[in-house]
Amino acid sequence: MHALIGHNGSGKSTLIKVLAGYHHADPGASVFLDGQPTTFDSLGHRGHGSGTRLNFVHQDLGLVLELDTIDNLALHGGFARTRLGRVRWREQQRRARELMAPFAVGFDIHQPLSKVTPVERTIVAVAGALQGWSSDHGVLVLDEPTAVLPPHEVGRLFEIIRGLRERGAGILYVSHRLDEVFELADRVTVLRGGQRVIARPVEGLTKQELVVHMLGDEARAHYRADLAPASKASAVLEVRGLTGRFLRGASFAVYPGEVLGVAGLPIDGRDELPRLITDARRAAVAGSVRMPDVSTDWVDVDSWRGDGLVILPPDRAREGILSPMSVGENLSLSSLDRFGPTGRLDKAAEREFVNEWIDRMTVITSGPDAPITTLSGGNQQKVLFGRVLAVEPRVLVMCEPTAGVDIGARQAIYELVAEQVRQGLSVIVSSSDVGDLEALCTRVIVLHGGVVVGELEGDLLNEHELLHAMEGAEPEVAA
Amino acid sequence: MTDRLKNALSVGKISGLYVLLAMIVLFSIWVPETFPKWDTARQILNNNAIGAMAGLALIVPLAAGVFDISVPYVMTLSGVMCAYTVVNTDLPLWLAVVIAMSAAIGVGVINGIVVVVLKIDSLIGTLATGFLVQALVKWRTGSKVVTSGELAGGFSRIARRQLIDFTLPVFYTLIVATVIWLLLEHTATGRRIYATGFNRDATRLAGVRTERIRFGALVLSSTIAGFAGIALASQLGSGLSTAGDSYLLGAFAAVFLGATQLKNGRFNAWGTMIGVVLLGTGTTGLGLANQPQWVQDTFRGVVLIASLALTGLQVRKAGASSMRSWLRRGSPPEPTNPDHGPAAASAPSTT
Repeated sequence: MHALIGHNGSGKSTLIKVLAGYHHADPGASVFLDGQPTTFDSLGHRGHGSGTRLNFVHQDLGLVLELDTIDNLALHGGFARTRLGRVRWREQQRRARELMAPFAVGFDIHQPLSKVTPVERTIVAVAGALQGWSSDHGVLVLDEPTAVLPPHEVGRLFEIIRGLRERGAGILYVSHRLDEVFELADRVTVLRGGQRVIARPVEGLTKQELVVHMLGDEARAHYRADLAPASKASAVLEVRGLTGRFLRGASFAVYPGEVLGVAGLPIDGRDELPRLITDARRAAVAGSVRMPDVSTDWVDVDSWRGDGLVILPPDRAREGILSPMSVGENLSLSSLDRFGPTGRLDKAAEREFVNEWIDRMTVITSGPDAPITTLSGGNQQKVLFGRVLAVEPRVLVMCEPTAGVDIGARQAIYELVAEQVRQGLSVIVSSSDVGDLEALCTRVIVLHGGVVVGELEGDLLNEHELLHAMEGAEPEVAA
Repeated sequence: MTDRLKNALSVGKISGLYVLLAMIVLFSIWVPETFPKWDTARQILNNNAIGAMAGLALIVPLAAGVFDISVPYVMTLSGVMCAYTVVNTDLPLWLAVVIAMSAAIGVGVINGIVVVVLKIDSLIGTLATGFLVQALVKWRTGSKVVTSGELAGGFSRIARRQLIDFTLPVFYTLIVATVIWLLLEHTATGRRIYATGFNRDATRLAGVRTERIRFGALVLSSTIAGFAGIALASQLGSGLSTAGDSYLLGAFAAVFLGATQLKNGRFNAWGTMIGVVLLGTGTTGLGLANQPQWVQDTFRGVVLIASLALTGLQVRKAGASSMRSWLRRGSPPEPTNPDHGPAAASAPSTT
């Protein structure tokens, strides 16, 4: 079990893509499989030689959510067919059961994958990658498999990964999360700037040392934003009885200069809450909202425009960036009114604005005209932060602010947000990464069963208490 | 500056113009008696102006990620309506034009309601409204040609009047193209239109009223189509219930071809103009060379596939394309997994 870690931009993804044959390696590179020299082109391909090969589970899993487990496995491994080409569904079903059996999962393989939990999808992807290989040969490459999993499901995946290792599989585990390295891996390779920094057994290595290797210099593993608790004299935003698919009447308030964390699982409404208060007009929802210093009237959330609120969406690729557009166009999208509300778009002013925000957000890019897709995940996220902060919102609602962002960029992002908060911005953070909440929040509300069951503040706001509260147990101090 | 010039003249950006030059040379050698004449240039522009307007009508909706299949039927509707009003009433010509334009804009509003409010996929929704518009025309006219001597007056001058060798529709087209260019390139709205077409969810969450943009785009396309239809009826000298039909494929061909020009994958006005002239020159040249009709259609098909394939190659090198993302709306930017086919997210949205 070998862990591969490093910053975004350190070359992890590129390495994986080269191995998978998506990118071509430069001449002069060599690769060995089972001690035999081989070519990069043949690595990821099925059905060659002895069955020794690499199997990939990419971060997006490569599944078709509309189809069920049987179909998805068949898409990876081929359909069982009669000689006339008709699919033998009974045989196909049997195969799927067989493949899923080692994982001891209870879900119905006839269900479309959109109906099963994220970890179960990951398991299907793993099963798909493993089908037809001889277990003592080959390497399974897992690319950040926990990136989208809620905490309680991560453990389940880990069990399965350990089980695979016991069956004799070699596993290359790509991750951002240092804890996972210590929990799972035997050996670890750290990449920085496209080069190997170290490759050694995990045993005897400390987390601090690992961070140092990743960053190249001393850095705090446990960052904590320097923010004072906010005064609770008057709220900037109050929400009453918020109800949607998962939420069952959650009520809370946000105060000026506060970073309010939302902890809980997706089924408790953690992911739903940010959407309902910023983009609720199309959903079946109930609840009311008000911003006391704008108006003391309560407004129904389904007719609320959300003025003064801005959301940083959780899924950067699908709801954040506009991939065909440039860095500059992505940055200025929410602020276009400044450069010509009705008439001609003042491109010089826009450029000045874009350059200013690229500087402020410390975005690393070749320039405002560079396609956004040429940036690393962390830098794309900084561009999105620039987009939302530039509109000078009253309340910034952030979802998964550091998903797929490396530690270095993470701290930079925390600092950028903290700086705005010190100037009076209020922030709501919803994140599956407890580290985000711990690093940034001055107060955290805990959701369970769709309602706010507790609140953590001050010294109680630490990883241990948060995880404890999220597992559904009563927090030690309820508000 | 020289870099800018080099960039502007690069084969990648204006491949269409180079192909056009090559075709002019080819036809000049092939049919030297008839092709290399000023008359041919006039004929190409005059004959393709209305088709060009139909193409221009499609640009803004496509840039906003919306199909408008109803454009040719709206052209029929406004043309027939204008001719009908001139023939059967004593209303002045300008009022007939206003009535026809109102009808066209009305169809645009209905398209907006169907696509944006009822959330029906634009391809299907505007196909349906196209049928309904056609039904309306056939019902009112009984599928008969609306014609009379009265159409020979002011009405015929809308499209037949010449100004320095070119008929008026050529100038209308230039004006409309300029307006669309200004809108898409030089206004905030234009940027929002492209953003909406690239990724509607992301754009909405960035605070853009994407529904308004989509609605507006459909109204705009019907407006341009309405005007093109009046010009068409004027050119034909009659209100014909099938007048617009033949413009559907050509208009889409010109716009898609245009998106491979100048703006690297974005639907744009001048690129579409290049597309129109390119296709028009090819078909006219083939006509002068006495080639049968099917050769012209073959030409159109081959040009379209070749240009899009070339753009696809460029795009793969550049790493990003609006065209590709437009064709797989709402999907992640990079297929991170070459083995496993499209990810779940790439299923086209149906709203």
